[in-house]
Amino acid sequence: MLRKALVHLLLFLATLLLLAPFGYQFSLSLTPPEALFASPWPFAHPITLENYRVVLEKLPMARYVLNTLVFAGVSALGQLLLGLLAAYAFVFRRPPLSGLLFSLFVLSMLVPFVVTYLPNYLLVARLGLLNTFPGLILPMLTAGYATFLLRQHLLSFPREILEAAWVDGASTRDLFLQILIPANLPTLAALAITLFIGAWNQFIWPLLVANRPDMYVLTVAVQRFAGGEGANAWGPLMAASVLATLPTLLLYLAFHRRILETLMEGGVRG
Amino acid sequence: MQRVAVRQRTPGMGRRPDLEGILLVAPGFGLLLVFVYWPLVYNLWLSLHDWNLVRPQAEFVGLANYQALLQDPLFSQLLRQSLLYMGLAALGNFLLPLGLALLTLQVGGRWAEFYQSLLFAPTVVAVSVAALVWLYLYLPAAGPLAKLAGMVGIEAPNFLSDPRYALLSVSLVANWKFLGFHYLIALAALKSLPREVLEAARVDGAEGWVFLLKVLFPLLGPTLLFLFLSALASGLEYAFVPIDVMTQGGPFGHTSNLLYAVYQEAFRFFRSGVAAAQAALLTLGLGLIILGQLHMMGRKHA
Repeated sequence: MLRKALVHLLLFLATLLLLAPFGYQFSLSLTPPEALFASPWPFAHPITLENYRVVLEKLPMARYVLNTLVFAGVSALGQLLLGLLAAYAFVFRRPPLSGLLFSLFVLSMLVPFVVTYLPNYLLVARLGLLNTFPGLILPMLTAGYATFLLRQHLLSFPREILEAAWVDGASTRDLFLQILIPANLPTLAALAITLFIGAWNQFIWPLLVANRPDMYVLTVAVQRFAGGEGANAWGPLMAASVLATLPTLLLYLAFHRRILETLMEGGVRG
Repeated sequence: MQRVAVRQRTPGMGRRPDLEGILLVAPGFGLLLVFVYWPLVYNLWLSLHDWNLVRPQAEFVGLANYQALLQDPLFSQLLRQSLLYMGLAALGNFLLPLGLALLTLQVGGRWAEFYQSLLFAPTVVAVSVAALVWLYLYLPAAGPLAKLAGMVGIEAPNFLSDPRYALLSVSLVANWKFLGFHYLIALAALKSLPREVLEAARVDGAEGWVFLLKVLFPLLGPTLLFLFLSALASGLEYAFVPIDVMTQGGPFGHTSNLLYAVYQEAFRFFRSGVAAAQAALLTLGLGLIILGQLHMMGRKHA
């Protein structure tokens, strides 16, 4: 009994410490400027929505949200599609050299990004794609992770179902659209959301290739605001950061069970 | 005979070579070649040249970039700090998540799910945005951490501008942000252990530390080593954005690491050759860790 209480106490403390920065972030976004440093505790101040008004007035948030949505949405769907096609081939078709090819997909996850960013930047610049969505998105479409995770998942998919349909004359397209995608929809959705959140939070690559204000994604916009007008204006800055965080946080809260399950599946069987 | 017949009905298995299988892998693999593997080759080429992005012609200099790097006292400082980041990542992304995962296994299903989803939450937030929040928490004198320290009678250091504390403070942000992910993976690994063996050990009276040391760790061996190596390998990368947002490597380069230095050389100082040489050495170092990881994976499958 005592042991159980101790376990809960430790876990509770860890959770509290880990979530505290969110408390401060949210609290600051609702703080009037004169109360910024009044207390070291969050929410020990009168609450105001003024900071949000300032941010929405000063920054073209709609534009940033749209940029981020396009960037994250296309990146996530692209990776998912490429990953699904490759994973299907690796599990059910075994193209020549599939062992080597699959290793290269997995190894690609482990290449440090700073090694690839300079060559990719030069390539994107030479193609005249700086400050364009293709330039932003194309290098993000490497589907190593999606392929790896979906392969793990498809390995347990009953081969007989596909064989039966194939014998009945179904084409590869039918297999995808009528069997594989519907039957694996929860996993595909969870992976899509995970990839979407990952792309939404990307910072360095968009900072490098989309540095014209009308092409900013949210992370970059918040950063630029922090370095300029928002410097020391902690209230508006945190209001902007809450707005940038809210979509991914809500997605996570809504789908956390599936997301965690899918991630764990990939983690274990790897 | 039966088996062979079934196999031949598998889509595509009848035709040889499996053109469609190749076509399905091709788009994903093509992008990998262009955006991951070609850059690796190009980086090696660059590291043998003197070039600064602006000059039209790159000059071949052989191993001069490497030589210059290895003789630079700053490089050994970077190396030391990189190891420090990796060590801190081993704590924050291996030991702590593993401990929390072990604790989670002790509580009931509903509670476990509750802690699991909350502890994972920081993973969902952009690290660049999170680092801004920490910038406020770390503010000297007026910031919450300084004030809380003052309340218990401690004078808080200048977290980000004192060379003695800056690296630790930056690393804390990285570890905070990524802890949940490693916790989840550790939990998954623990859950995948054969239940019967664990139960049997329990029945035989193995408890507490004995259970942990004699049953759990030996069973977990390869998995633990794998988790440890991936915590190490990601240590430098995790710190990257917090460094960029909070200190840009300062004060006096005390929070920089090899990964961040490559970025600065390439995109701030435009010394592409040096950056490439650094990147090549970095890839080599991390590659060794990753090879160890693959070795572990192989053992796990065997």
